[in-house]
Amino acid sequence: MKREMRRKGPRTLTAHLGRFVLVFVVSLAVLAALWTVIAPTYTRLVGALSRPLFRLVESPNATVLSTQGAETWIYRIVGAHEIAPFTWFDRYTFFALIPLLALVAATPGLGWRRRIVRGMTGIGALLVVHVLYVVSSVELSYAAMGLRTVGPLAARTLDIWQIVVRVLWEAAPIVIWVALTFGAWRRLFARLRSGDSAGADARRSSWTGALGTLGWKKKEGTP
Amino acid sequence: MTERTKAERTERKRAPTPRMVLSIALAAAVVLLLVLLATHEGAIGVVQRAYATVTHGVLRGLGHDTAILGNVVRSSDFGITVVTACTGIFATALFLVAVLVFPTAWKAKLLGGILGIGGIAVVNVIRLVTLYYVGVHWPAALDAVHQLVWQSLLILSAVALWLLWAGRIAERRGAER
Repeated sequence: MKREMRRKGPRTLTAHLGRFVLVFVVSLAVLAALWTVIAPTYTRLVGALSRPLFRLVESPNATVLSTQGAETWIYRIVGAHEIAPFTWFDRYTFFALIPLLALVAATPGLGWRRRIVRGMTGIGALLVVHVLYVVSSVELSYAAMGLRTVGPLAARTLDIWQIVVRVLWEAAPIVIWVALTFGAWRRLFARLRSGDSAGADARRSSWTGALGTLGWKKKEGTP
Repeated sequence: MTERTKAERTERKRAPTPRMVLSIALAAAVVLLLVLLATHEGAIGVVQRAYATVTHGVLRGLGHDTAILGNVVRSSDFGITVVTACTGIFATALFLVAVLVFPTAWKAKLLGGILGIGGIAVVNVIRLVTLYYVGVHWPAALDAVHQLVWQSLLILSAVALWLLWAGRIAERRGAER
């Protein structure tokens, strides 16, 4: 029995992983092709939410944010009715949205409705991270260049804060995805541990069903 | 089984064990260590130069006449500079945190850590080599491949490696029952 389970087990895991990777790659390709359409709207949304936050953290307000297509430009107010370009965020700054959605699409054991809800929640959470990233990285740059006064401790640890902001920006899609799909993975691992329904799961996870999330059965909530 | 016994069991299951607390503390220490490594010019410089050296070696092996200068690999056609973000240090940190907080034996965590560090390093070298090729043969697509394709593939490889490791552990536990 044990021997048979060992023989079956790795195949099941391989099937799950294969399906996960394949659905991720297909979803990524489709969504990445749509990025040029999505990016300007998403960038405008990040810009619209960042502006009030800049006003909140700056006194007096020193930043003017402008979105041009999928790019975000930051200008600094240098005099009365006078601004100068300070920095810019390129069209790939917010691209993490696409791998996040591809990860949600590839997660096994989620029904369509829950997948959509988690996808929307993920977009919301990532939007918050991106707004915080834009504002904090600009403010940290001001501080590093002496354009904003900070305390002695903050001044000494500026480079660490910049790295922390960068790490959070880079890790955000994975962290959000883990938080949103933790339950689904826990159930999958529990099934792998118990060894039951290995055959059925392997069949459900077959490569033939991997060419899209259409193949996913609603399994969430089942014991 | 009464409802009370069930609740007690659930409570006992969810109560943090010393191992869990130690795992979380170690994960926090790993993040702190890697943040310090990333901000320490000398230390991160060693990592950057190591990646540049390996990439240079691979490209030479593939017949390219590249030269190396610190963290820069260049030829007459194209050059790449390995900066902190190109070292995969952030993906590695995330992987190590996921391994450390996963409830399993320390030996398995050690193996997982080695698998992750090694696996992500290999993927990263492949990334640098392919970026060199794209830079030489398809420079117009370099930005997209660099930030769009490889950002996603690095995420995928870190996640897939972790799932492979955690899935194997789950399966082994199942087989041992």
